Amino acid sequence: MGSERGEPVAGVDAPVSGGGGARMLGLLYPPAGRGRLYTEMQLAFIGGVAEAATIHGYDLLLSPSDTESDPSFRRILAERLVDGLIVMEIRRDDDRVDHLAKAGFPFVTIGRNRRADETSWVDLDFAGLAAGCVRHLADLGHRRIAFVNRSEQLFHSGYGFAHLGLEGYTEAMAELGLTTHAYLCDDAVVAGEKVLERILRDDPATTSLVTMNEAALEGLYRGLTRHGRAVPRDFSIVGVAAGHWAEQVTPQLTAAEIPAKEMSRIGVELIVERLTAPASPPRHVLLKPLISLRASTGPCRPVPGSEPEPEVSEFPDIPDFPGSDF
Amino acid sequence: MTNRRALSDQHPDRSAHSPEPATATVSPEGVVTGWSEGARRLLGYHASDVVGRTAADLLATVELSDAIGYTLTGSREWSGTAALRHQDGHRLDLTLHCYPSLDRNDAVQEFLVTAAMDAPEAEHDQRMLEWAFTQSSVAMSTFSKGSRGWRLNPIASEKAATGEQRADEGFLRHIDRVAQHAMPLRYERRIPVPSTGPGTGPVASAESGPGTGPREAGSEARPRARSSPQRAWITEMWPVRDPVTGEVRGVATATFDSSEEHWARQRLALLNEAGARIGTTLSVTRTAQELADLAVPRLADFVSVDLLDSVLRGEEPVPGPVDAAVVLRRVAHQSGAEGVPEASVDLGEADTYPSFSPPARCLATGRPLLSGTDDPDFVRWIEQDEARSASVRGYGFHSIMAVPLRARGITLGVAVFVRNRSSAPFERDDLILAEELAGRAAVGVDNARRYTLERGNALTLQRSLLPRELPKQAAVEVAYRYLPAGSSAGVGGDWFDVVPLSGTRVALVVGDVVGHGIHASATMGRLRTAVRTLADVDLPPDELLTHLDDLVTHLTSDDNSQAQEELYTGEVGATCLYAVYDPVSRMCTLASAGHPPPAVLLPDGRVTVIGLSPGPLLGVGGLPFEATEIELPEGSLLAFYTDGLLEARDHDLGVGLDRLCEALASPVPSLDVTCDAMLKALLPETPDDDVALLLARTRALHADQVAAWALPADPAIVADARAQASRQLTAWGLEEIAFVTELVVSELVTNAIRYGDVPIGLRLIRDRSLICEVSDASNTAPHLRRARTYDEGGRGLHMVAQLTQGWGTRQTSRGKTIWAEQPLPGN
Repeated sequence: MGSERGEPVAGVDAPVSGGGGARMLGLLYPPAGRGRLYTEMQLAFIGGVAEAATIHGYDLLLSPSDTESDPSFRRILAERLVDGLIVMEIRRDDDRVDHLAKAGFPFVTIGRNRRADETSWVDLDFAGLAAGCVRHLADLGHRRIAFVNRSEQLFHSGYGFAHLGLEGYTEAMAELGLTTHAYLCDDAVVAGEKVLERILRDDPATTSLVTMNEAALEGLYRGLTRHGRAVPRDFSIVGVAAGHWAEQVTPQLTAAEIPAKEMSRIGVELIVERLTAPASPPRHVLLKPLISLRASTGPCRPVPGSEPEPEVSEFPDIPDFPGSDF
Repeated sequence: MTNRRALSDQHPDRSAHSPEPATATVSPEGVVTGWSEGARRLLGYHASDVVGRTAADLLATVELSDAIGYTLTGSREWSGTAALRHQDGHRLDLTLHCYPSLDRNDAVQEFLVTAAMDAPEAEHDQRMLEWAFTQSSVAMSTFSKGSRGWRLNPIASEKAATGEQRADEGFLRHIDRVAQHAMPLRYERRIPVPSTGPGTGPVASAESGPGTGPREAGSEARPRARSSPQRAWITEMWPVRDPVTGEVRGVATATFDSSEEHWARQRLALLNEAGARIGTTLSVTRTAQELADLAVPRLADFVSVDLLDSVLRGEEPVPGPVDAAVVLRRVAHQSGAEGVPEASVDLGEADTYPSFSPPARCLATGRPLLSGTDDPDFVRWIEQDEARSASVRGYGFHSIMAVPLRARGITLGVAVFVRNRSSAPFERDDLILAEELAGRAAVGVDNARRYTLERGNALTLQRSLLPRELPKQAAVEVAYRYLPAGSSAGVGGDWFDVVPLSGTRVALVVGDVVGHGIHASATMGRLRTAVRTLADVDLPPDELLTHLDDLVTHLTSDDNSQAQEELYTGEVGATCLYAVYDPVSRMCTLASAGHPPPAVLLPDGRVTVIGLSPGPLLGVGGLPFEATEIELPEGSLLAFYTDGLLEARDHDLGVGLDRLCEALASPVPSLDVTCDAMLKALLPETPDDDVALLLARTRALHADQVAAWALPADPAIVADARAQASRQLTAWGLEEIAFVTELVVSELVTNAIRYGDVPIGLRLIRDRSLICEVSDASNTAPHLRRARTYDEGGRGLHMVAQLTQGWGTRQTSRGKTIWAEQPLPGN
């Protein structure tokens, strides 16, 4: 975990001085699922925040506002329904954050954006996670590593995690001197299958991939099965996902966990800090979960027919003998 | 007599001893003047044939000097022999008496000649016969068929007066049979000697022992007291015929007292039976009981067998006789009465015998002795003990024999034979018989004792070598059975073990050392220790067997060089199956050295035999062992066993395996019950070979008990690893040990990053303890098991060792793992 992170506030509430005295926290959290439904991960967050808030003596008001113009957002601010706000799913440029900062309303963000220095936030080191996934595969001997990101729409809307993930992947691949193959993928099973088709069409010798897309995970598996690639014998997958997603596929996904509970708990701690000590400098918590080893990664077995990778780098490269299969 | 016989032979219808003598009168001139009927019968001539002829014509030979007498030369009376000729021409040598018949002038008028037919001699013989019959020492009788009357000689009459034979139906039946079939028979029976006691009415039963001639099928109605005095009789019966007609006129009998012979035969039979019935097993008490059972009621009315306590404890008794008052334990007793009410000591109880008591005396001298109510020591002994004196009074015990049980110069105990008031006192012959019986029993008891001792030793050794209580581990639930072989084969070398390994894994081992007895047990012990040691190093199954194979090869060569004279010089034939089960991955890795493969009952009810490469036997050397990996669903039931379980009944492995699978599949509530049910289904009452059975139901550690992470080889990750471990412990509620865990994690991870190869993994397992494992791809094991005082390196591990309850390394197929274990808080 990041060194920026303070020791968690243990147990009981801190005294509340500011606010309207309603002892109410607001959570701005637009649903991300299709048909504007909350995803399981989001629900886990919401539950986690509510639980943590209760510990500190607060109740929770949930608003699906994703812009500053949302009536719900305006109402909360105008009527001071809550003492402070936790803002979720923030974008690089987020008018909600801008508006709150301008209004001087106490808030913290889950994730960071361009205003990161001014606000208190808790975030996952997505770039670090993606890079960690690449390194894990590289440690197992993989050299052809593809990257499956979130949807094009989300990416272009400036969704932070999607950008950070790609950043981490690209950097790690560059460090290793490997060629990147990054793909955007809709949050759906079918989309996952399609993306896998593309990956193997683009480079049939691909032996592994890193995915940020939980919803497409099953599709990726299906595609591999269709191509006769057994996980983890012929193909390794590593992802960034919540535990239950990773455990729902067979074989279970080796993945960097999204510690939803941990993040929501820290989010509440941060807002409570802002309320009790408004003058204190903003605090930043960057979580760097490790990659949980499950069953979807294994040592690299190069795809038959693809050129052999030099396994032992200490030896000088010897030119291939013409006609040699090895 | 020969003449007479010739006569009778010639004329079987004419009796030789006819009433009329053969007489004739001869004139002085030698002319026959008179001829009697007797003469006719003797010589065949009628009077008309002979009278008027010269007597000399009747002579067979004129030349014979003895016929000269017929020339009357002055002799007035003459007797002599002469050869006469019968009418049919054959010669008759007769004694002739010639008496002159004188007239008034003393002149011979004529001669009266009588031919003496040996009549006086025949009569004499007849009388002799009669006398012999009446004065015979043998009881004889004749039975006349016509009159159905008996004629007995006096001795037979005497016997008859004691109420014997002619009242005996069997006897009469035999007589009839002899009369009818005209063939001799022998009839044997025993008659109780009339005694003062009640209940000894005439008992007649045909002898059922070996003998000649037909006999009555003796009814075994012998409720008691075969030891009571009886006399045995043999009656020879033969038909009496009319010599002329050949018709059976009657039956004659001669009866002999065969009591001595009978008893001798009885004793032989008893001894013969003793050989077959005493010592049928290798059990001390059973052998003693066999002696008691055999002797009652044929030799005694009550028998007790008491052994020295040391014998029963399996100790080596002091050689030679036993002195003074002695404590004996009742091992067996028997009596004619049900429940042995006579016994004053219960089975298994001990009693002290004072030095003067007959049993103690016989132990002291080592010689059998006769005693009874006429022996003051006996009386004194009995009076000392109330129960004993009550018993003696109640049952009328009056005669006892105390016989030491001695074998190979060692006194083991004493057998006491007792007769009650319905039986006669023991005699010297009985003592010899009892001594003989006791001798046989003693050898049996001694064999049993030695066997028990040796078997006990071997079993103790084996049990001490087998796990008494299996170590606690969470990977599998186990139940096991070890059954030594039946009495014939002795203990064997079957063994099994359960060894907890690092990372909550467990090793399940089963093995079999060929052969039986101490040697097999000892070899088994060595193998088991070796497997434990090798398992502790955490070798993979195939490698472990390779090491074990080397060890057995060395053992064999050691044995051969050290103890050439030892009876056992054969190879150590041994098999072993070694399996490692990991409850995290649910993988079971197995390797076999010639051992039958385990069967597994899957949770869905299917039973399969795990397909393994059978592998070579241990000690063969040179051949590789192959490991097999299978994934087992949680709750699979593994059955490890030795071949004794399969081969017991049908000596067919395939059929045995099928039966094993069947037995394994039957639903039962617990593993222990399954164990018993399987043994019952597969084994006969007394198995030929020893059997080991080890059942293991697999458990699985779930995601909430295991956390594993991949770590890049980047020193910066150490802090993240610590934080991650700390978060995991918080999730598990183990904040208490988070500090130590973080230290351990950071130490091990740092080591792995510095010295190991990627990929590096960190794993936490929360089970009975908290296990922290760091693995990397390097095969170079840290040999810094113990950091020496001035070593720079190894400090970290030294600290880990100080802080944790245990740590170690293991090699894996992809590198090595270093682990450290901490107790859970509150444990």
